[in-house]
Amino acid sequence: MKKKYAFGWDQGVTAFLAITIVVGSFVSEYFANVDNLSFVIQDIAEIAIIALAMTYLIIAGEIDLSVASILSLTSATIGFLFRNGTSFELAIVGGLVVGLLCGLLNGYLVTVIGLPSLAVTIGTLALFRGLCYALLGNEPVNELPENWIVLGYENIPGTFLPWSTIPLAILAAIAWIVLHYTRIGRWTFAIGINPEAAKFSGIPVARMKLGLFAMTGLMSGVAGVVYTLRFASASPDGAVGYELSVIAAVLFGGVAIAGGIGTLWGVLAAVLSLGAIRSVLQLIDFSANALLVVSGALLLISVVLPRAIEIFQSRRKSAFVTKI
Amino acid sequence: MKSLATKFFRIRELPVFLALVIVVLITGSANPEFFTLSGFQDVTLGVAVVATLAVAQTLVIVMKHIDLSVGSTIGFSAYLIGDASSKGHGFWYCMGLALALGLAVGAANGFMVAYLKLPSLVVTLGTLYIVRGIFNEVAGGNTITEDMVPGPINFIGLNTFFGIPYLFLVAFILMLIVGFIMKRIRSARDLYAIGSNLLAAELGGIPVARRVFLAFLATGAVSGLAGAVLLARFNTAAANSGNGLELSVVAACVVGGVAIAGGTGSVYGAVIGAVLLQAITMALGALGVPQFWQLAVNGTLLIAAISLDRYLSTRVKPTSIMGAK
Repeated sequence: MKKKYAFGWDQGVTAFLAITIVVGSFVSEYFANVDNLSFVIQDIAEIAIIALAMTYLIIAGEIDLSVASILSLTSATIGFLFRNGTSFELAIVGGLVVGLLCGLLNGYLVTVIGLPSLAVTIGTLALFRGLCYALLGNEPVNELPENWIVLGYENIPGTFLPWSTIPLAILAAIAWIVLHYTRIGRWTFAIGINPEAAKFSGIPVARMKLGLFAMTGLMSGVAGVVYTLRFASASPDGAVGYELSVIAAVLFGGVAIAGGIGTLWGVLAAVLSLGAIRSVLQLIDFSANALLVVSGALLLISVVLPRAIEIFQSRRKSAFVTKI
Repeated sequence: MKSLATKFFRIRELPVFLALVIVVLITGSANPEFFTLSGFQDVTLGVAVVATLAVAQTLVIVMKHIDLSVGSTIGFSAYLIGDASSKGHGFWYCMGLALALGLAVGAANGFMVAYLKLPSLVVTLGTLYIVRGIFNEVAGGNTITEDMVPGPINFIGLNTFFGIPYLFLVAFILMLIVGFIMKRIRSARDLYAIGSNLLAAELGGIPVARRVFLAFLATGAVSGLAGAVLLARFNTAAANSGNGLELSVVAACVVGGVAIAGGTGSVYGAVIGAVLLQAITMALGALGVPQFWQLAVNGTLLIAAISLDRYLSTRVKPTSIMGAK
């Protein structure tokens, strides 16, 4: 299950990350600077947190395009509740509950009604974003309590790590252990490889998928809290287009879009690589546009390269079936 | 022999068309201005860009593929047309440039999907980024302004043909042409076969790779040429033109009965779907629903449409992200 290619894709991405860091420190003296590293981690935190859950979802053969809207709706809920007099702590809880509910709605539509997740989540992408505007109108909430927003820009005392490292590290560790060392993880792979076979071998496929969607919603909610604190603001138009960045990172990390293949470390290495590349490009005064091209190119390489190796290794006629 | 009535009720586009009629009637009775010529022109003008792209997207979705790169292509092409025109090149040179861009993106997508057999969602997500990145680099902070737009494009954006905006006519004629091809031309019928059962299509002797390649090429070409429609509609283009359009286009197709699981649907449905989404947006405005709720209603409608479609065609059981295998 883990080793599908001639070499582990996650090892390849890790090597790529290492090369990026080495090259980065050579081309710019500021790259390995602790302030910059702190900035890089802060910059990728939301995408990384959502990518953890998206990894499960794509391995199980589903997808969620509404994550950026859930992130923003969580943020908008926090802003809305706080503006209407709720305490900030309670507002955060409210935001997380909304994130979870969004995920449950996606999961319900996919598993109970039986709709294709790609189409459903395009719909909920619009729905959740629309609710952001319905909640906040055009006015962002900027007056958030100072003792909370310092968490968004200050580092953990005595270290160069931003506060967002803590949720990221804890969630990544849990996600890694659950995916690779528990029954739930093995079920996730089994569902992605063959849902029918998984169902007949007694795996509660629908319940698992519902759970994975709910978890993706909750993780997007956590990312929404991090996002709100980082920008010290809750606005209805935050994080537009993040869903594609998350999916690009997950796929570059070696998760197959057809399901059943992937490792969590590969995805984390991919998110870190993209963050490091962005930082290097910024430091050597490359335009931000280069990052778009690099992201796209890496995404294509992540599918072309395994394919090329496959064709090279076995010259037999390629399989008939390609998914999307 | 099926009776004519049975055949009529089997028309796949019927539910979405009825929904459109109901929306128009309700809105019109609540706000008579919706029935006026300007109400009609608002809807048809607003829908032209998405309708054009939805026609092209249908070719790809019926094969159970998807093309997310159209938003980047149409934006870049709109910019290139304006840019070339401002440098003194003629109208046809500009359109040639737009076509060349569309063909290049379409060929790249088609090659990777058809011949390398890579998943189209990943491939076109990749080209979405690459084209957008190159576009932003080329455009920088420049904006195409009205005086840089070629005369003919300016003309079709602002004028009407007996009350019908030329822009909508462009989309409508494109729909009729592609609709005819997909109904009558055998190689285009093959796209449905590929979408409903890939293995059977291949074993049945359909040159699948060539068909898939050509369909992506055609989608790219139309998206490139549609840059003119985008430019005519807004009379301006900048680095963010066409951003995020791909999702509206897929939404229009899905609402119009072009199932994401492949094998069914038509360009007529896709265009009606686009018009329905646009009409609802306008209707909410006309009915006095706060603007902020409109996006949420559109999303709900999309979910309702695919739920209804699922209910009406229960034979398919979705198992993957694109629906049934």
